Amino acid sequence: MKRYQDIVGDGGSRVLEQVAEQRTRITDGLAGVRHLVAVGSGKGGVGKSTLTLHLAGALRARGLRIAILDADFNGPSQARMAGVERALFVPGTDRVALPRTRNGIAVFSMGSLIPESEALEFQSTAHGESHTWRATREFALLGEILGSFEWGALDLLMFDLPPGAERTVQYADFLGPRTSFLLVTIPSEVARGVVARSVAALSNGPNRLLGYVENMSGYYCRDCDAIKPLFVSPESFDTARGLPSGLEIPCLGTVPFDPELARHCDRGLPLAEPADTPGGRALEHVAQHLLDSLESTTEPPDEVPLRPLR
Amino acid sequence: MKFLCVPCDSPMKLQAVTPPERGSLSIVYSCPECGYEMAMLTNAYETQAVQSLGVRIGPESGSHASGASDAACPFAAMIPGTDDAQRRQGAEPVPVRWTAGAEARLAKVPEFVRPMARTGVERFARERGAVEVDEQVLDAARDFFGM
Repeated sequence: MKRYQDIVGDGGSRVLEQVAEQRTRITDGLAGVRHLVAVGSGKGGVGKSTLTLHLAGALRARGLRIAILDADFNGPSQARMAGVERALFVPGTDRVALPRTRNGIAVFSMGSLIPESEALEFQSTAHGESHTWRATREFALLGEILGSFEWGALDLLMFDLPPGAERTVQYADFLGPRTSFLLVTIPSEVARGVVARSVAALSNGPNRLLGYVENMSGYYCRDCDAIKPLFVSPESFDTARGLPSGLEIPCLGTVPFDPELARHCDRGLPLAEPADTPGGRALEHVAQHLLDSLESTTEPPDEVPLRPLR
Repeated sequence: MKFLCVPCDSPMKLQAVTPPERGSLSIVYSCPECGYEMAMLTNAYETQAVQSLGVRIGPESGSHASGASDAACPFAAMIPGTDDAQRRQGAEPVPVRWTAGAEARLAKVPEFVRPMARTGVERFARERGAVEVDEQVLDAARDFFGM
């Protein structure tokens, strides 16, 4: 009797063919993107989204072509922060044009589609059992976004990932080995512990770990023109003073919390140029290290965004 | 999932798909050798698992095709500017025609963005006194919004 592998095709349901077609469309859509960088953490509330937007701004100010995909579908924040909350999606000749910030960063965020007063819900036949299918649906949605929008020629496409160490690995699996990871932590033992788990999980796969950024490493007081501590940092991971973090990946920099930058994010007014403040200079430093790290790669792994199914 | 006719040792072929009803899909397979037919009836979890992949089961076109792609925009009621959302608010949009070329471009837009894209482009056209959306209007909208 024939076995599964002996039978070519699936008898006409075309499910596997369609999944393969979706993946081809994703690969084609991202063919013009030089670097795919996922900004994750594992920990929530460490400032992944603001850091992503500020880094994108710093890179854009250097003349690079940048896009952000807000992959946090359930808690999208890029639309508001980037000022594309009421963006119009216009059909192009083949794909959908992306809204842009005032400084020319292309942004896709579910926050442009769904008001903050509403939660993301999918139609379902399996009511009350969303834990069995929701992650699959969200990744199908991510694939649809990657395959349907005009990413075009970009230097960097930055993915703003949702929290969760296991989610970070799922995105690594889905996006494939072309995608490099930048992790964000804060000077707290709890955050460092969670990020260490993400490092451990990602280290088992083929994705490149570019390093981590310590966000909120103090806050910038404009009155004093000084950085003051936000967290009481144990010396063992006081990266601001060049001491080891316990995370066995490079530190690309430390960024202090700057209330003025946060205000810009809340108002949807991304800065065209990094501010001449300790925070702005720290972002410049991280942006340079990020580029150095990306350019130090020989060749990105072959484009295998998703594993073939049979 | 593949189906094998055991007596013929031959892979069975999909014949028809009935759209989901009360969470269940009915998919008929037949053996090309002996003609034996069987139906796979999915439960709600199995139906949802297929729909979550964002694929449709069955031929590319035809009334029997079924699956996630046939569904209306899954977020329609939540997105401002869509018909569902407007109906909730009691507003009735002035109709704007779409040319075949513009409709073809709109058809390439994902389901979850399409209602918003349609409404937004129509608003853009109305604000410029146009009663028809063609490809030029789409290009103008694209330029206007700096895309």
